[in-house]
Amino acid sequence: MLFLDLLADGVVTGCAVGVVAVTFTMIYSTTRVFHVAHAGIYTVAGYSTWFLTTRGLPFWLAIICSIAVCAAVGALIQHQLYTRLARRDAPPLVLLIASLGALVVIQNLMAALFSPNILQIPADWRVLTVGIGSIRLSMPQILLAVSSLVIFAGLLAWSRYTSLGKRTRAVAANEFLAEITRLEPRRVYITVMAIASGVLAVPGSLTALDHGLQPYTGTLVLLTATIAMIAGGMGNLFGAFVTSVILAALQTTSTLVIPGQWSIAATFGLFVILMIVAPTGLFARRPR
Amino acid sequence: MNFFLSYLAIAEIYALASMSTNLLVGVTGIFSVSQGAIFGIGAYTVGILTLNDWASFPVAMAAALILCALTNLAVALPALRIAGDYFVVTSFGIQIAATAVFMNLTDITGGASGLAGVPPPNVFGRDLDEPGAFILLSSIVLAAAALFFWLVLRSPFGRLINAIREDELAVTAAGKSVLAAKVGVSALSGMFVGLAGGLYAGFLSFIDPGSFDIDASILLLTMIVVGGARTLAGSLIGPALLTALPQVLSVLPIPSDAAGPLRQILYGLMLIAFMLFRPQGIAGRRL
Repeated sequence: MLFLDLLADGVVTGCAVGVVAVTFTMIYSTTRVFHVAHAGIYTVAGYSTWFLTTRGLPFWLAIICSIAVCAAVGALIQHQLYTRLARRDAPPLVLLIASLGALVVIQNLMAALFSPNILQIPADWRVLTVGIGSIRLSMPQILLAVSSLVIFAGLLAWSRYTSLGKRTRAVAANEFLAEITRLEPRRVYITVMAIASGVLAVPGSLTALDHGLQPYTGTLVLLTATIAMIAGGMGNLFGAFVTSVILAALQTTSTLVIPGQWSIAATFGLFVILMIVAPTGLFARRPR
Repeated sequence: MNFFLSYLAIAEIYALASMSTNLLVGVTGIFSVSQGAIFGIGAYTVGILTLNDWASFPVAMAAALILCALTNLAVALPALRIAGDYFVVTSFGIQIAATAVFMNLTDITGGASGLAGVPPPNVFGRDLDEPGAFILLSSIVLAAAALFFWLVLRSPFGRLINAIREDELAVTAAGKSVLAAKVGVSALSGMFVGLAGGLYAGFLSFIDPGSFDIDASILLLTMIVVGGARTLAGSLIGPALLTALPQVLSVLPIPSDAAGPLRQILYGLMLIAFMLFRPQGIAGRRL
């Protein structure tokens, strides 16, 4: 069944997009920066894993190194760019332009260093498939789905139960109050950026393993993720993840009726209609 | 001489586009990365209409102006319902959707290979096929547009859109309609960039989707960031410097497939550096 295969494919992709959406939501609701450079981190993840595996490192070790690389890049962007700008009371527009600048630099740096062509991560088990009923999934896809769900659950638990997670929610709720109660928002921001960027390395590398990697694909993933974030109801992690899965499933299954090159335009059209009908999103919490 | 005139014509065209970006991003504070798409719609409208001999150049330009104003309105409307940062998403989406349209409506737009042989602008029965002749047209258009831009910024409407950037709530509280002002500035900005697009198609006689993709939008944004927001001088200096940059880079010994990414890296670094050290650009006011 082609439909089921496409649906499974979409759900798996959706899980990866979901991690992007959830981490983006975390950053956005805490630091208030519309961090478009997040797509750049996603790109860095794929390329650093590719680079390390071609240098002979086993794949799992390369991913762990990528997590460290991404966390470092994320923390660096926060510390060197956003914090500096925020100290000068820069308006959101300035932060946004700086973030876009960072995205452009990262993507094109990858293109200049590693060529803009499709690269394939060398791992033989990439092509192994597993059948579940009538659906066949490749090993990277299964890993992608499982790891994304684990990361999502982990982030939810982290934000709910750990003291750092609680501190993050406190800063997100009221920065001023957090400042005067010595929760040190600036340090929380860096931690949030490091965690959100670090976990992004897992879906970033696994998607690269599955589909090969190109420097500019991250933008499209981020666009779907931000659409999911808004359509899912702002600041709602669960809504962001579920909407990502729905959107990605719609994108892949819609190729049965409309040619593939229009799918992103269709997703976007859907978003515009949704925003006109329900501007607060699908899973918006009612004000209490 | 022709080389210099070509550079000047391109810089003038981008100056028109920069005024459009400046109205939207600099003055009203609406972030947009879809300016390249609207620029493309202007160029394709003029290209398609004059190439197929469906309309004369002035009529095609008028059509481009109207179409770009309407498109920008359609882009802006959903974003006006939802606040601030969400416009980024709509704007990214429009840009990517527009590139898909330019690439895939092969019958009309020529697809990835683009439209070749767009006839030069024909004004008052004269073909402006030489840079020397074209520069007259583009200079006159630019001068008129610049005067208009300058007047708009000093009009009550200009003060209103400036106030929207500063504090939307205060504008609403003062009894002004934020929505109407944003709709107006979207249409106006669409017309400026449509004008630029039409001239671009007529001057280069070749257009392809690659000239109107997200990189083009980023270039247009970089121009006003470098030149400076909210001033006429800023809208002229930015394009003048940044259209010269590829010429300067082509002199350096860089392999051709690294030249594109390298240029984009420079634009990105400029965006970051100006935001960090000089948010007002060379000749603008604070963003």
